[in-house]
Formats: sequence, C-alpha cells, structure tokens
Amino acid sequence: MAVRWTIRICLLLFLGCLLVNACKKSGDGNSGPQLLDFPIPAGFPAPQYSFTGNPLTKQGFELGRKLFYDGRLSKDGNFPCASCHQQFAAFATFDHPLSHGFNNQFTLRNAPGLFNMAWNKEFHWDGGINNIEVQPLAPLTAPNEMAEDITNVINKLKADEVYQRMFTAAFGDETINSQRMLFAITQFVNSMVSANSKYDKVKQGKAAFTQTEQNGYTLFQSKCATCHTEPLFTDNSFRNNGIPVDPFINDYGRMRITNKKEDSLKFKVPSLRNVAITLPYGHDGRFSSITSVLDHYSSGIQNGPTLDPLLKNKIPLTNFDKFYLLEFLKTLTDSSFISDKRFAQPE
Amino acid sequence: MKLTQQLHRVNLPKLCIVLLLTTVVISCQKELHFDKVPEKDYNLIIKFLPIATYDSVPLVLGKPTKNTFKEEYTPTAFKFYVHDFILSNTDSGHVFKLAQDKYYLVNFADSASTEIKLSVQPYVYNRLFFTIGVDSAKNVSGAQTDALDPANGMFWNWNTGYIMAKLEGTSPKSSQAGKFEYHIGGFAGADNVVKQVECIFPFQNNLDLKPGGESRMFVNCDANDWFYNTWDIKIADYPVVTSPGTLAKQVAENYWKMFTIDSVSNIQ
Ligand code: HEC
Ligand code: HEC
Repeated sequence: MAVRWTIRICLLLFLGCLLVNACKKSGDGNSGPQLLDFPIPAGFPAPQYSFTGNPLTKQGFELGRKLFYDGRLSKDGNFPCASCHQQFAAFATFDHPLSHGFNNQFTLRNAPGLFNMAWNKEFHWDGGINNIEVQPLAPLTAPNEMAEDITNVINKLKADEVYQRMFTAAFGDETINSQRMLFAITQFVNSMVSANSKYDKVKQGKAAFTQTEQNGYTLFQSKCATCHTEPLFTDNSFRNNGIPVDPFINDYGRMRITNKKEDSLKFKVPSLRNVAITLPYGHDGRFSSITSVLDHYSSGIQNGPTLDPLLKNKIPLTNFDKFYLLEFLKTLTDSSFISDKRFAQPE
Repeated sequence: MKLTQQLHRVNLPKLCIVLLLTTVVISCQKELHFDKVPEKDYNLIIKFLPIATYDSVPLVLGKPTKNTFKEEYTPTAFKFYVHDFILSNTDSGHVFKLAQDKYYLVNFADSASTEIKLSVQPYVYNRLFFTIGVDSAKNVSGAQTDALDPANGMFWNWNTGYIMAKLEGTSPKSSQAGKFEYHIGGFAGADNVVKQVECIFPFQNNLDLKPGGESRMFVNCDANDWFYNTWDIKIADYPVVTSPGTLAKQVAENYWKMFTIDSVSNIQ
C-alpha cells in the first residue's frame, strides 16, 4: 500500500515539475510565433526578400498590420501608412495625383500601389531605398508625410499595452525597438502578393481572354513588355519614358540619388498589375487615365539626352490599338487581392 | 516476456524518486545562481577626446572656436561611427583583432559613448587601427540595432545609407541661416568614405597590457582637420554637405587624419 502511494505521489510531483518546466519556456503557455509560408506564385521568379533574418510569422504579420493602420505612427495621429495606401486602390492613393500628408502638405510624388514588393530590389520612384526593411523610415520622418521622429514612435509603442503584448508574441520577448517595428511592417507589406488577376487565370489555363483582350495582349508583348516585363510587369529598371519635367516640382528622379547626369529624368518602371485601379498615373500622377498614358506613348513623348532608346520613335498606336491595350490592361486587376481580409484594417 | 520480468525486478518506488529528483534539478536549474566573482569584460579603454585648433585646445560643444581659415564657428554636434579595432606590434609582427566586430557611435554630446571598452590579448602594442564609417554591407542589409539603430539620427531615410560622421553647428560665415552641417556618408564606388585609420603611439609610450592589468588610451579627434588638408573646406564656401558625393568625399579625406593618440596609461 505504502509503495503504491509513494509511486503515486512521486508521479504527481514528477508531472508537476514537467509542467513547471514547460511553462518556463513558453511564457503565457502558447508555443511562440507561428511560422507562415510565403508561397511563390506560379511563374514568378525568386523574390528579392528572403525572410532570412526576419522569419515570416503570424504574430509578426499581425503586428505589422496593426502598425500599418495605426495613425499614432504619425505626428498628429492622422496619417497612418493606410491613409495614403488604400486597399481598394491596390494600396495606392485613389484618385490623387499627390497624397496628403502632415499639416496640409502634399507628397513629392504619386503613391504607388503596394503589392509584390518582395520582388522589388529598390524602392520609391527614384530607387533611393535599397532595402524594404528601412523603407518605412522615409514616410515616418518626412515632414510632409507622417512628420514623426523614430524615437517618439518607439516610445509611443512602448507605452501601449497592446503593443507590448504583440511585440512579445511576435519576437519572443518584450523588447520594442525600431528594428522590430520595421521587421513587422516588412512582414506585412511583403505579404501583399497579387497574382490572381484574370491574366493569371488565363496563364494557368483557368480562363480565356476575349478577342479584344487577346489583341491587346499581343500588342503589349510587342510594344510594352521590354520594360513592363511579365510576370511582374516591370523589369525593375530606371528609365526615362519621355515625360517632360514639371517646372514647379523639378523632379529629376534617379539623378537625385546617383548625382549622375545620365540618370536625369529616369524613374522606376512601375508594375502594371492592378493598373486600372491605381489612377492617376506617372510619378507625379499627371495622367488621369490609362488612355492619357497611351496618348503620351503615341504622341507625347519628349525627346532628350536620357530618353529611352526604345522610345526614340514614340510608340505609334491607332485608336483600335489603344482600345485593345486598355482592355488587356484591365485583365491585370486582382479583385481577390483588394478584398483580401488579411490585408484589411484590423478590428 | 523477458522485458516484463526485468521490469518487475526494478524497484519502482526508487526509480520514481530518482526520476523526481532529476526533474526537480532540471526544473530549478535556471533559477540557481552561484555567486560568481564578477569578471571584468574589458582591459582596455579607448577614450576619444574632441579637440579644436591644432591639437591643443579642447573642443566644447556650444562654445565658439575657430578653424584654420579663422572662421568662427560654434559646434553643436560632433559624432562618428568606428568599428573593427585592431592592435599590432610592428617589431614582432603580432596582430590582435577582436573576435566580434561591433559598431560604436562616438557622440561628444554623450560622454559614455566616447569611452570604448575592449577586451584585448595582453601584449605590448605600438599601433592602433580602426575603421571610421559603416561598411557597405550594413548600408544595404536593412534594419539594424544598437549603435546602428536609425533612431540615432545617423541615417538618411530617403536615400538609404548611414551618416558616418557628423559635424554641425552655427557660424557667422555661413550663408545658410548661420548654420553649417557636415553629414558625411557614402558607401558605394567612388563615393565610399569608409576608411581604416592607423594611429601610431606617442614616443616611448606603448600600450603595455599585462595579464590582469588595464590600460587607458586617449585619442584626440581634431575638428579642425575637417576643414583643411588635403581639401580647403571653408564654411563660407560650403556650409552644407549632406549627401554622398565628391564634396562629402573631400571632407572625409580631410577628417580621416583627425585622430592622434595623445597618451597611454598602463595600470598593472
Ligand atoms: C503621406 C502619404 C504616405 C504615407 C503616410 C505613407 N506613404 Fe508610402 N508612399 C507614398 C508615396 C508618395 C510614395 C512614393 C515615394 C517616392 O517614390 O518618392 C510611397 C512609396 C511607398 C513604398 C515604395 C513602393 C515602390 O513601389 O517603390 C512603400 C513600400 C511604401 N510607400 C510603404 C509605406 C509604409 C509601410 C508606410 C507607413 C509606415 C507608408 N508607406 C506611409 C505615400 C505615403
Ligand atoms: C522604355 C520603357 C517603357 C516602355 C517601352 C513602356 N513603358 Fe510604360 N512606363 C515606363 C516608365 C519608366 C514609366 C514611369 C514613368 C514616370 O512616371 O516617370 C511608365 C509608366 C507607365 C504607366 C503608368 C503607370 C503608373 O502606375 O503610374 C502606364 C499605364 C504604362 N507605362 C503603360 C505602358 C504601355 C501600355 C506601354 C506600351 C504601349 C508602355 N508603358 C511602354 C517605361 C516604359
């Protein structure tokens, strides 16, 4: 009898100890950040960002999402990332040539859509930012955007209990610093992958182009695809496509970064995915419609020393061509992306 | 059959107690503290001191001084990144390199940051090397922490890269609202301002580190060097240099020579 009791008590204590041990390692009893897959869409090349050093996790993604939608990252509370990057416009600023920032100021340039960022090598129209992790520092500190100071932002986050919990969940301990904030935003922004348009379905054999769309696609492949290269619809290069400089803004693009004359008026070739919903167009949003961009290619191109050689003779397009191209470009809209709940404002 | 027989022979209560004891020990392991003698993790302190005017007068932030061209200026910030400390003895060829390279931001507004504490292999050394600036890899590999945290204000946000050295203040000679700002950086190609500097020791004053001993080394950083030799950088001509390029490179080529070891004291 006594033997049995010893065994029972011992076993109980043993289990108790195991339990204590288990709890020590996992804090609140959960099992740490959960790794998420980063699926590469069919036909896409290897991404530029690999998530080594910043593993993609459910908790990191959710933290990044909260940060993206949080106005407190800006000086007066009114300008979260999402104020300029709106999901229904594929995260561009809908219908604004330039976006509004702090103190009734405009941004220097048109806010591009945010998707497939993990395949980008350099960021912003002039490629001034060489790693997506540090990209948020630009809008955070620009006096005409979020107008904040990084230390202030970090202090606001440190003072917030929800953030304390979310940083711990995402990174294993309660440290809140700029690197972790940037890691989390990167996880969220890089997760925005758009590859489910009609064009993609046609490529996968799940849908078919109409005759007009097909005509447009053929034209596109011969006249546009050298720069707007499939499947990302950009070759990530910097080029001058003949848009004359705005004498009030005086934006010379890539030259601002490299100080090289040969980079004057060169801008990053934008992806044309979701182009139908990211109006207006061009680095300063001067084109209000795709048709006006097409008119530019067929008759507006301004010659100059850095004009891309491919455009020396403009791109002659008939009205039919323009119609076909437009119909094709509309097949690049990914409606499941703009309604994807994962990227929407968190409750 | 055999296994169960063997199991019967094991004294179950004893086994349980042994198991229990092991788990108790494992469970408590992390909480146990053996009071260790706290071991000092450094034996060399390199102290950077700001100097103005030909290596003699201390530079004080907020206090007016003059450069070679007799231009009056009041420095308000003086800081730079250093890393990769190496000590050597040119007679024996012995070289000591720290196993773990770490970046330090020397900021003369924060005296703790001007003392760099290193753990160095005891030896007699007569050369000090370190790198001023932030290597290209750290400029392209995304978000960093500690000294390289962009919150330290030594980072260009719209044109990625570290400001590797900063000297700024006010001057009546400046046409830019009386301010001058030298934010020097650049890590690519011809714009690269990262440089390994070499300091020799004052005559007959080597770094003589004995096991268990400690040494202090005082390194003067002469702000005046920023303005001349090889390039004339007058505040009147160039009040603002805040992006990588030719001018930044010239300022850097000037300041690379700003370091001199003032003295070394070896405490045994
Ligand atoms: C005030 C409006 C505004 C806010 C707020 C804003 N952005 Fe932007 N964003 C822009 C503009 C304008 C650009 C284009 C900048 C340029 O090219 O110079 C841009 C560019 C970007 C790009 C680069 C896209 C590309 O294709 O190169 C990313 C990524 C981005 N923003 C993410 C963010 C994040 C994350 C935040 C919040 C931390 C944020 N933005 C806040 C307006 C804004
Ligand atoms: C020589 C390279 C090149 C070729 C060829 C080219 N583009 Fe572009 N495209 C660019 C560049 C560069 C920009 C951005 C220019 C700017 O805003 O300064 C651009 C911008 C655009 C935009 C605006 C997108 C936005 O989000 O602002 C559209 C639409 C567009 N191109 C469509 C086309 C079509 C259609 C064709 C073929 C008829 C074509 N492009 C051919 C380089 C090219």
